[in-house]
Amino acid sequence: MLSGGSDGVMVLYDLENSSRQPYYTCKAVCSIGRSHPDVHKYSVETVQWYPHDTGMFTSSSFDKTLKVWDTNTLQIADVFNFEETVYSHHMSPVATKHCLVAVGTRGPKVQLCDLKSGSCSHILQGHRQEILAVSWSPRYEYILATASADSKAKLWDVRRASGCLITLDQHNGKKSQAVESANTAHNGKVNGLCFTSDGLHLLTVGTDNRMRLWNSSNGENTLVNYGKVCNDSRKGLKFTVSCGCSSEFVFVPYGSTIAVYTVYSGEQITMLKGHYKSVDCCVFQSNFQELYSGSRDCNILAWIPSLHESVPDDEETSTRAQLNPAFEDAWSSSDEEG
Amino acid sequence: MNRKRHRLVPEAFGQKRRREGGDVEADPLRGESGSARAAVAELVRLFPRVLFEDALPPIALRSQVYSLVPDRTVADRQLKALQERGEIRIIQLGFDLDAQGIIFTEDYRTRVLKVCDGRPYAGAVQKFLASVLPACSDLSFQQDQMTQTFGFRDPEITQLVNAGVLTVRDAGSWWLAVPGAGRFIKYFVKGRQAVLGMVRKAKYRELLLSELLGRRAPAAARLGLAYHVHDLIGAQLVDCVSTTSGTLLRLPET
Repeated sequence: MLSGGSDGVMVLYDLENSSRQPYYTCKAVCSIGRSHPDVHKYSVETVQWYPHDTGMFTSSSFDKTLKVWDTNTLQIADVFNFEETVYSHHMSPVATKHCLVAVGTRGPKVQLCDLKSGSCSHILQGHRQEILAVSWSPRYEYILATASADSKAKLWDVRRASGCLITLDQHNGKKSQAVESANTAHNGKVNGLCFTSDGLHLLTVGTDNRMRLWNSSNGENTLVNYGKVCNDSRKGLKFTVSCGCSSEFVFVPYGSTIAVYTVYSGEQITMLKGHYKSVDCCVFQSNFQELYSGSRDCNILAWIPSLHESVPDDEETSTRAQLNPAFEDAWSSSDEEG
Repeated sequence: MNRKRHRLVPEAFGQKRRREGGDVEADPLRGESGSARAAVAELVRLFPRVLFEDALPPIALRSQVYSLVPDRTVADRQLKALQERGEIRIIQLGFDLDAQGIIFTEDYRTRVLKVCDGRPYAGAVQKFLASVLPACSDLSFQQDQMTQTFGFRDPEITQLVNAGVLTVRDAGSWWLAVPGAGRFIKYFVKGRQAVLGMVRKAKYRELLLSELLGRRAPAAARLGLAYHVHDLIGAQLVDCVSTTSGTLLRLPET
């Protein structure tokens, strides 16, 4: 797992629980510390692995740069400089025909940087204030969603020259309106964006303490109501959706806890308490079905699904190895096994 | 020793039973699980018409509907269906973009006609109520929609704004509004703060719902305690904790 901190340091962790204990610590494999010549000068806002393999990763920071790193040598492969601080960047997980990285900065223009050519010439105009979050659709490689402090969230097709496809409207007004300037997705800044894993729906959170679920093909507000989702972040909020569960969950940082809701019904399942200060970001690992969250108390916590816990037996004092039964071997070296 | 025990135990139960009698009215506040339509009808009955001398239609708030219908998504969808059928209008109350008022369309129409009777803008208002309201069930109206689809001219739109039926939202778009709602909003905001203050001043910042409803309403809460309590619960300005003595309202920690 790749993580970036507010001091500019980036660390790579190995998430495998090789000690088989119920409470374990993930070791850091390597890090880009303050002594590295190319380390970011200010807080690292967004980090992302190259979607196709772990040979490369990208990081963007408040020092107005987007840096592309080679993992094996931990050296910079490329740097993109911008005029304003960078809040968020994202590279499409399904793109095969393009290598564009969408970058959201403090300016109102969304920049698209091309990794192949090293230039950022493509700009998407339409927002009026800073762009707090960008996300590519996991379903279509040219569809991009952006969220801005001007209360608007827009869906773009980057091949189209004339402007955004849809501006999300929380009141689901009539689409015949020629002027979409009054459409707002939230009654405050729109802080975070997350597509569901199939790309058919989009979740947005805003500083009006609401989270909304949108149909990403026509921009309609599905009116699923999650209640009050406290959000005082002045930057983007990184939240995540589960992948591979029978009813998908959304994990949102809520103060110093993480709130878990079912995506399509809006019901709050639980609040995960463990951090001491406010949680800034969380991410879901679908292979292990684990959630990782980072907070202002300088900790990253791993949340693993709690399986059926066996009743402690008083007579045996055994330190039974805790292993997720999904990973247990059913393999036996005996020759008689059919 | 036996005599003492027999006397003490029935007394203890007796006291509880007497308190339960007073509670029955309060706890159905949380027990409603009907449709949104029934919830709006009930809330409309809580609205104090006498206070406004019948000049305002009875307004319920969306947050109040959430307190009566526990599943918010279902409540939202039912309200949207009612809105599309034309039975209710949703009004953006100016003070908080989140708070939306719900009014039955019939009430709205009769009151607005009564208020605008005899005024110079009566003609434009009647045309608006007859042509735009049934056709468009949205919260807001756009410039081109008003001029092209419904044939309103600019002076007529200005008359509608003067009448209080439309409020400016943005350049070229307007919210639907209730004429004379300013007084209601003033009482509502003050009342909300007053009732929230009652919970805040309590010891440990929490109050039993039954006790809150049993207290005398502060002078600022002119719309009635029950009206404000529904709104506070639905807007999640207080947390509802169910205890063995009934529902407890507690201020959230943040």
